[in-house]
Amino acid sequence: MRVTLLGGAAVFALTTGWAQAQSLLFEPGEDARFNWASYDEFAAANDLTGQTLTITGPWTGLDAELVESMLEYFRAATGATVNYSGSESFEQDIVISAQAGSAPNIAVFPQPGLVADMAARGNIASLDAATAEWLRANYAAGDSWVDLATFPGADGAEALFGLFYKIDLKSLVWYVPEAFEEAGYDVPETMEDLKALTEQIVADGGTPWCIGLGSGAATGWPATDWVEDMMLRVNPPEVYDAWVSNAIPFNDPQVIAAIEEFGWFVRNDEFVDGGAASVATTDFRDSPGGLFAFPPRCYMHRQASFIPTFFPEGNEVGTDVDFFYFPAFAAKDLGQPVLGAGTMFAITTDSPAARTFIEWLKTPIAHEVWMAQSGFLTPFTGVNLDAYGSETTRALGEILLGATTFRFDGSDLMPGEIGAGAFWTGMVDYTTGADAEAVTKVIQDRWSSLN
Amino acid sequence: MSDNVAGEKAGLTWAVQISVVALVILWLIPTVGLFVSSFRERDQISATGWWLAPFSVELAFRGRADAADPRQENGAWVIEGSIFDDPEVATAFRSGSGVINAFGTRGVAPGQFAAGTVAELPNGDTLSLAADGAYRFTSPEEITGNGPRVYFEASTPPRFTLENYRTVLTADGMDRAFINTLTVTVPATIIPILIAAFAAYALAWMDFPGRGFLIAAVVGLLVVPLQLALVPLLGLHTRLGIGQSFLGIWLAHTGFGLPLAIYLLRNYMVGLPRDIIESAKVDGATDFEVFVKIVLPLSFPALASFAIFQFLWTWNDLLVAKVFLPSGAATQVMTVKIADDLLGSRGGDWAILATAAFVSIAVPLVVFFTMQRYLVRGLLAGSVK
Amino acid sequence: MNPATQGLLTIFIGVFGCIGYFYASNLVLDKVIFPARGPNIGRNINAANRVRPWLFLFPAVFAMGVYLVYPVVGSFYRSLFNRMGDEFVGFGNYGSLMGDPEFQTSLFNNFLWVLVVPAASTFIGLLVAQLTDRLAWGNIAKSLIFMPMAISFVGASLIWKFVYANNADIGLINAIRDVFGASQPIDPLQIPFWNNLFLMVILIWIQTGFAMVILSGALRGIPEETLEAAVLDGANPFQIFFKIKVPQIMGTILVVWTTITILVLKVFDIVYATTGGNFGTQILPSYMMSYMFRDDGRATAVAFVIMLIVLPVMIWNIVQARKEMR
Repeated sequence: MRVTLLGGAAVFALTTGWAQAQSLLFEPGEDARFNWASYDEFAAANDLTGQTLTITGPWTGLDAELVESMLEYFRAATGATVNYSGSESFEQDIVISAQAGSAPNIAVFPQPGLVADMAARGNIASLDAATAEWLRANYAAGDSWVDLATFPGADGAEALFGLFYKIDLKSLVWYVPEAFEEAGYDVPETMEDLKALTEQIVADGGTPWCIGLGSGAATGWPATDWVEDMMLRVNPPEVYDAWVSNAIPFNDPQVIAAIEEFGWFVRNDEFVDGGAASVATTDFRDSPGGLFAFPPRCYMHRQASFIPTFFPEGNEVGTDVDFFYFPAFAAKDLGQPVLGAGTMFAITTDSPAARTFIEWLKTPIAHEVWMAQSGFLTPFTGVNLDAYGSETTRALGEILLGATTFRFDGSDLMPGEIGAGAFWTGMVDYTTGADAEAVTKVIQDRWSSLN
Repeated sequence: MSDNVAGEKAGLTWAVQISVVALVILWLIPTVGLFVSSFRERDQISATGWWLAPFSVELAFRGRADAADPRQENGAWVIEGSIFDDPEVATAFRSGSGVINAFGTRGVAPGQFAAGTVAELPNGDTLSLAADGAYRFTSPEEITGNGPRVYFEASTPPRFTLENYRTVLTADGMDRAFINTLTVTVPATIIPILIAAFAAYALAWMDFPGRGFLIAAVVGLLVVPLQLALVPLLGLHTRLGIGQSFLGIWLAHTGFGLPLAIYLLRNYMVGLPRDIIESAKVDGATDFEVFVKIVLPLSFPALASFAIFQFLWTWNDLLVAKVFLPSGAATQVMTVKIADDLLGSRGGDWAILATAAFVSIAVPLVVFFTMQRYLVRGLLAGSVK
Repeated sequence: MNPATQGLLTIFIGVFGCIGYFYASNLVLDKVIFPARGPNIGRNINAANRVRPWLFLFPAVFAMGVYLVYPVVGSFYRSLFNRMGDEFVGFGNYGSLMGDPEFQTSLFNNFLWVLVVPAASTFIGLLVAQLTDRLAWGNIAKSLIFMPMAISFVGASLIWKFVYANNADIGLINAIRDVFGASQPIDPLQIPFWNNLFLMVILIWIQTGFAMVILSGALRGIPEETLEAAVLDGANPFQIFFKIKVPQIMGTILVVWTTITILVLKVFDIVYATTGGNFGTQILPSYMMSYMFRDDGRATAVAFVIMLIVLPVMIWNIVQARKEMR
């Protein structure tokens, strides 16, 4: 649907507001893609009339609208009052409210590391063994999803603390198909081809990559995604796991090798739009804009599946801009590893309504409602893949379900001071010219000093 | 006024005027940039700086020649039309047309050919695009499917829009947020002033053991980082049953604002002429009466100054509001609403950020102007006599 | 209850409550507990006067005690424990701080900030206060210089992003350099050492308004007679300014300077939001923020170091206070 810029802005303004009284987006029983049977079953089995459920999460703006559309179904099915509020500074807010005793019933965590911390302090209620079994059986690579959410609790015993609900894929490279077509480039299937393409573009007079690390206080995080992707392509997955848990030191040669693979791309002034020095100050939201300029300021942009929100208006995913899988080295024989991240629902103040909500997340309909819209992927095998809102998201969903190796974003798993601190600043130093050995040593020293 | 007293030279007055103008301009330039940006659109902000806002921006565009009905002419197939009719192009040219400077057929060279010339393409095709958008594409073969891509560079007229302001001001719940912010700031400004005024007087004009220590403590408490206090105080409020509420945030702002209030007010009160106060005491007034009848009225400038700062601080505050107020839409203040709702998924939309910054500046400026009249000379002048 | 009504009610209760408390407590003190009559009149009045300061101070001391001292004490206690808060480490956090190169950079940078920002803001604020004092459009000029204070830190960061951007199309500085023929844009925030000054400019830009307002009030408090006498004695405006006005308001100048110094030790938003502490721009408050809620032991230790730095200022204030009462 083509809308003028004015109209688009108006629609955006309307949809960005709070819509307290929303009706169900898809009428129950109408669209055959959805699993209405699960909805009816759930509604019949649960009645929470008069009870209130408070949920906080990181989703704001448009994402908040989307989660509200899913929550409407829960409200309609159980009669409960559900209050969701999103916050840009969620990680900070949840820690404050948990420590001060005013935590919500359910909190949506983008970082398992944070859940681990809070579980150890006893601020999160553990989920029962039945849920763990359900996850193993019903999620693709179910064991990974259980392991990622299992931590020692306040008593030291390991338990499942969260249920993953919305996943983002990260091993993607975005490009403009027309630009590739005009220049005669093919989508590379191996890392060797990708490097050759990079050099080819430079030989043709263009700039291959747009990379931007800027993000205010979080500057540097996109580089950590690059390095994690490289880790999975340069080393076997066991090395990745050891790295994330600090079983091998951060300045291990295997880690440095991955960082230097990233450096091959980013430290070369000819390979990156604006030169290597500008990478650290270009905002990550502005950097993909180079793909859409005429002449294009770059041809490729490696970023997770949420980035289309920041593309200039009027560019449709699938036609004007598309993605390809960030390839692996053909020579290294490590399969097709996929890096992703996701949000985990956890109970921060236990109540019957909270427990019922966790059960709700196990129904296919709870996933399908959001799948049919945008920006949502799930490893739940019980959903109907046709419910995906577009070909693109279905393709992403299939990547997720078919990955030979799936690993969660490492910096989200590391302790906060590293994964959301030293690693970021270390990467900024590296891209602006510091030595990989020096940078990783600093990070490792910081990690060792955590007690 | 001393401008009628010998000693004010005309030259000096001019120097003063000019230097003030220079300073004001220096101070204003960065803000003007943001102000201008709040009226521009996102694409134009990324393309040129705000100082070029009134000028046309040359940008590159992409369109497609419409191959709906090709005709034959002298053995070649021809399609003609106006590139501005292409829906993809039309969105960028709201007024319906623009001035094209150059065009091309490949994205990497959108300005390869000057407007009005005829470009010879491989396969024997030709394309020409005039400055007013009229294009003509010829091909020796039949033209099927989509027409060819046409890239061009054109000057887009500067577009100023109120759309950003509309988006921010009419955002769902913004009026509620505005009222909430007022509800938080007004009590949080008035109550600390009252409490601090009395304490400041005691520290300024009463002698008692521990006075020096208390003054030093006030200074020391000025530096306490707020973040330290959030968790313990929220916990305290929750245990007391206040929880997250307006009462909680009023109390919190009062507590946090007291050191600065006391420090500023005390300093001002110390500067009041000793004789007035002493003579009043000699006349038999109690400290309380001296305070209420003499010191307080004379301290209006200081009270007004502090009121401005405290109002400002509570108006622009984000952190304390997030922690001490409930997080639902009904109790959001403007700062939280802007940060979480408006900017949430549009963090890179500088136009909206700029607009939001100016929308929230309006009220504090009004307060500043209002308070100006208390910052007047002369309250002391007559009273010595 | 409607929050706005609640607010109005609070203002009402608060204001009358405060006034009522002060009035009533003084009344009770003077009429009931230590009445100014009878055989002990002298002793009573003295006793009343000894107690009275505490009556005046009580609400303030109570509020500050609960809202500021209690968290501070709790934080000091917390800084003696480890990251999770379960293991006592004594001064271990402080020790590891001293060894952290980033902490050392922050300390050094902060000293720079403390040296430059208060002095510059106070000086410019004083200048503006004096220059706009008798101008017809003085109020407008003052409001314009005050405006940066009214813009939230988010707005200020954005404003200066448009000045410092590493792009001649967007950043003012690079555009000016471009006009003068520079070939490459340069990122002011990445220049070692000087980037700190560029960030300081932002805070000076904001805080000058604060200094200006307070010093403006102080200047207006100088009695007319003093100034007129000086003029009659033949002093020129410069002499009047430096020899009469400045000494008269020296107390206020120092108060403004102190307040801004302390603010420099507290404000983390500027560095946090622009460079995130990278490129050697880290200062103590934003360093503390980066640990806050993750390693609270360390964060509280940094907070304490910040408070220790204020100690000399506190001591100086005690000395000044003692001088006053003489």
